[in-house]
Order: sequence, then structure tokens, then C-alpha cells
Amino acid sequence: MFTFIDTVIIGLTSGAVYSLMAISLVLVWRSTRVINFAQAGQALLSTYIGYSFIGLFDSYWIALFFAIVLGAGVSALIEILFMRTLFKRNTGPIAGVAPIIATLGLLGLIHGLIGIFMGGKEAIIRPPVSNVGYTISGHTLALSPLKLVIVSAVLFLMISLSFIFTKTNIGLALRASAYSPEIARLAGVKVDAIRTLGWALAGAAGAAAGMLQTPNGTGALSPDSLEFSLLLVLGFIAAVIGGLESLVGAVIGGLLLGLVLAFVIMYVSATLPFMTAFLLLLGVLLVRPQGIMGRKVGRRA
Amino acid sequence: MHKLLHSNFGRFVFFIFLGFIIFLAGNRVDELRVYQGATLAMFVVAISSIILLTGYSGQVSLGHGALLAIGGYSAVLARNYWTLPIWVCFAIAVLVAAAAGAVLGTAAARLSGPYLAGTTLALAVGLPSIANQFSFLGGEQGLLFDVGAPPISLGADFSPYKWYFWIAASAALIALWWLQNIVRSRYGRTWRAVRGNEIAAQLAGIHSGKAKTLAFTVSSGVAGLAGALLAMTIGTVSPSAFPLTLSFSLLTGAVLSGVTTLPGVMIGAVTLVATPEISHAISNRLGNSEAVTTNLPGLLVSALLILVVMLVPNGPVEQMRSMRVRKNASISR
Repeated sequence: MFTFIDTVIIGLTSGAVYSLMAISLVLVWRSTRVINFAQAGQALLSTYIGYSFIGLFDSYWIALFFAIVLGAGVSALIEILFMRTLFKRNTGPIAGVAPIIATLGLLGLIHGLIGIFMGGKEAIIRPPVSNVGYTISGHTLALSPLKLVIVSAVLFLMISLSFIFTKTNIGLALRASAYSPEIARLAGVKVDAIRTLGWALAGAAGAAAGMLQTPNGTGALSPDSLEFSLLLVLGFIAAVIGGLESLVGAVIGGLLLGLVLAFVIMYVSATLPFMTAFLLLLGVLLVRPQGIMGRKVGRRA
Repeated sequence: MHKLLHSNFGRFVFFIFLGFIIFLAGNRVDELRVYQGATLAMFVVAISSIILLTGYSGQVSLGHGALLAIGGYSAVLARNYWTLPIWVCFAIAVLVAAAAGAVLGTAAARLSGPYLAGTTLALAVGLPSIANQFSFLGGEQGLLFDVGAPPISLGADFSPYKWYFWIAASAALIALWWLQNIVRSRYGRTWRAVRGNEIAAQLAGIHSGKAKTLAFTVSSGVAGLAGALLAMTIGTVSPSAFPLTLSFSLLTGAVLSGVTTLPGVMIGAVTLVATPEISHAISNRLGNSEAVTTNLPGLLVSALLILVVMLVPNGPVEQMRSMRVRKNASISR
């Protein structure tokens, strides 16, 4: 029984982090129709920024704040410097593939640079609160203050992003310029600026995911750590399962993925997380090719 | 010359001629270059499988490393368990990978753009870990792959690397010749039609799902051949031989070659083979720290990838072709 509860807790916590990563991918997809593979690289960069601020201020929370703000800045810069030129230049048969390839290249670039400048050094982010589980009637649960903090941080970010998206003018402009850039421009929306804003929000969410993921794992920060391949692959799978279009879908996808993986690791085998993720993804997509919350594309062109 | 290349027989003769040149070149260079030649041939096969899929049928695969793994493992298993002749093992690799590709392609035909990219990405990360689960796949160490000594008739001083090179080069030539023909056939035209405008293609009576699945199957078969060649050149198969970075670098090679131009495939393959050497030379200059040595190749490839996508998105071959077309147009005006 306790194993079952622990598995659910572990699944939900890691699922929450994947959701956050998935949200950042969905934000980029909704604002510019690009799958940003570099998102995990940006998250890694932001986490390193956060790590250096921990050294400066000796506080995880201040560092988290700076990581999120600077992560958003980096993301906005990438949109301005790379994506705008890319969209202007690309025509012909590669147009559909070019953004995917460009962001993959960006991922490799960020990863390689961090590896060269920070790779040899040992970097550890200690959890800001205790990661020892609460004890109930002699049994130590997997539920720890850290896990509570992670889940509530993810919840807070999710709610505020949904609020921005659905209740504010900025959110309306974001949705309008993704839906139909020309009409939005005619209606007075500064579409380019709004797209950059979408990337910035995504960068912020990714930075938060990186900063929360690292202490939730081993705490060791390295460009080649398992934590970041998990963020890269599972965040993406969660977004695709959820349907790429909706924030709610991303959250559902992330939590579902986290739970399924936790149960497989606990009860079946610890070596197969990625294969399980693949089968789950394939299963979902065979039933619903547009993802759980995705809308079916009607008539095109 | 140009006209000759556009006939079936002409292309056949051209490939025979190419093979003869490669044969002469292989006799004149040292062991290391011969080994690199074998790797080059492997990359040519792998990249052309991606070009076929992405450039000609418009589907994106981030998981061709997984199909290479399927081909490599099936060739090795056929060799180790039944000690079949080497060319039969290669044929098995092609068939098994094509079968896997057919299953995957059926799913893939329903998916578009990012959904397909996601599925193949998950496959590329997930599949190699299966080897750790079943003991007959050899776990993390993997399995040895011995293609056997070169035939006695080739002479006593015929080195095994040269033998690898011969096998890989002839496999690459056959694969390229076959692919050249298939993209010029009815199937190739169908794929291009689906890539160009799926709805228009459907209106013209093309079953776009079937066309996509077939493209995926053919591409997977070719990728399986590349996997068997990879296993041969490094002598083993193991999960670490097919990392995610392999899939990414193959895609990079395809973009550098120009995804729509099969003849450009050499550009990508040469780049992928040369990158480790160049980065080795650079990191020697920089004092050989471990962080630089391990990260520089990836960094160089990524930087190159970004430059190509920004500057010549359709690849150098296509760029030259369109420049020539523009020039001719301005002359005739």
C-alpha cells in the first residue's frame, strides 16, 4: 500500500516538472508554430545561470528568480536573432523542416558551449528545503517538503500562465497572432513583439523546470546528466501526448507520463523508461493522432 | 554526358564507372584512409535514407539511429547464430529494418510534422535500451560482429580494413543506384506530389497514406543496411553505438547535403567523417583539455547546421541549380 502511494507521489512530482517543460514547448508552438528542441538546452543554460546566482547570493529563491528572468531574456533573444531571419528566408521544400533543424542545431550549440566552459567542473544545486519524506506511523513516505514545493511551484506557474493566456489582453493578442497573424496585425496587434513575448514566457517556464528538476534528481548539474535528457525527451513527449495546442493538454500529458513511468519503474523494470514513454506516445497517437486535447484539423488550404 | 545520365542504362554505366574509380582510389591510400572510406560509405547510405524520407516524401524522422540499430543487430544475430554468408546477413538487415519501418510507417502516415518528429525521437532514445533487457542481445557490452577474413583469392596482404571498404563501398553504390532509380520512378513522383500538396495529390487519385508508408519502409530498409555497415566497421553492436546524437548527426548530414538532392549526399557524408579530425586538430591547438575534446565535434556540427539552415536552407546543390536557372533566365531575357 505504501509502495503504491509512494509511486503515485513520485509520479505526480516528476510529472509536474515534465508538464512545466511541456507547457514551455506548447507556448512556443502556439505563438510561432515551431517545435523548440533547444528548449531543454535553454533550460540547462538557465539552470547554470541560477547556479551561479546561488554562489553569489547563497539563496536558492533569489537564484530561481534570476534564472527565470534571464531564461526569458535568452529565449526572447533567440527568437529575435534566429527565428525571425529563419522565417523570412525559408521557402521551398525545406520550409516545414527548417525550424526543427535550426532548433536542433541550437540545442547542440548551447550544449557544446556549456560542455566546453562548464563541463569539467562539478556543480551541485542543493534542495532549498529538506528532501526527507514525512513519516506516518513509522513509515517514511516519498512525500517530502521539496516535493510539495515543486508541485506548488508548478501549480502556481501553471495557473498564472493560464490566467495570462485566457484573461488578459496580452493573452488575447498571443492567441490572435498565433491563429491568424495577418488579421491580428490589421487589428493593431504588434505580432512580432507578441511572438517574442511568447518565446520569453516559454523560456521562463523552461528555466523553472530546469531549476526544479535538478534538485529533484541527484542535484548534480552537468550538460550530460540524465535529468536533462529526461527534460528534453519527456517534456516533448508530454507536449505531444497533450496535443501541442493546449496548456491543459500539456499538464495532462506530463502528469500521465510521470505516473505511467513511475509505475513501470517501480513494478516492472527500471531500465525501460524511454521505451515505455515511446509506447505510451504511440498508443495515444494511434487512438488520437492530434493528441489528447488537440483539435482535429478541419479543412486546410 | 548530361543526357546519358538521364537514361537508366546511362546511370548504370555511370555507377559502374564510379565504382571503378573508388576501387583504384582504395588501392592507393593508407589503412586509416581506407577505414575512413568505409565509414564514409556507411554515412552515404544512412544520409541517403534520410534524404529519401525527408526531402522526397516530406516526413521528418529524428529516430533513424533506431532503424540503424535494428539493421545492425539483425545482421549480427544472423551472423552469430546461423553463421550465414555476409551478404545474406546484410540482406536480412535490410529486410528486418524495412519490416520495422513498415510497422512504424503505418503509424507515421497518420501523424504530421511535430507529432511524427516526437514519435521517432522517443523511439531513438527508447529502442537501444531494449538491448539491456534481453540477454541474447548482449546488454551494454553488445555483441561482436565478425564479417570474416577477406577471400584468399584477393591475396595474402589484403587487409581486413580494405575488405570492409570494398563491402561498404559496393553496398553504398548499389543502394545509391537503386535509390536514384526509385526517385525517378512512378513512386518517386508520387512521393513528391504528396510532399508538395497532400490534398492536391489525393484529388489526383494518390493514396497519400500508402505513399508515405512505402517511403518510410524503403527509407528504413536503407537505414538498416547502413546499420549493418556501421556494425561491420566498428566490429560490434551495442546500445552506445546508436545514441541520440547519431540520429541528429545523420539529419545534419542530410541538411548539409541538401534534403532534396540525392546527388549531394557526399557533401554531408564527408563533413560527418571530417568533423572529428578537424575538431581533433583544433583541440590540439587549444591544449587538449577533456571538456574541449569531447564537446568540440558536436559544437562544430551544430554551428555548421545553423549556418546552413540560415544561409543555404535548401542545400548547396539546390542553391547552385537555382542560381544557374536565374542566370539563364536573365540571359534569355
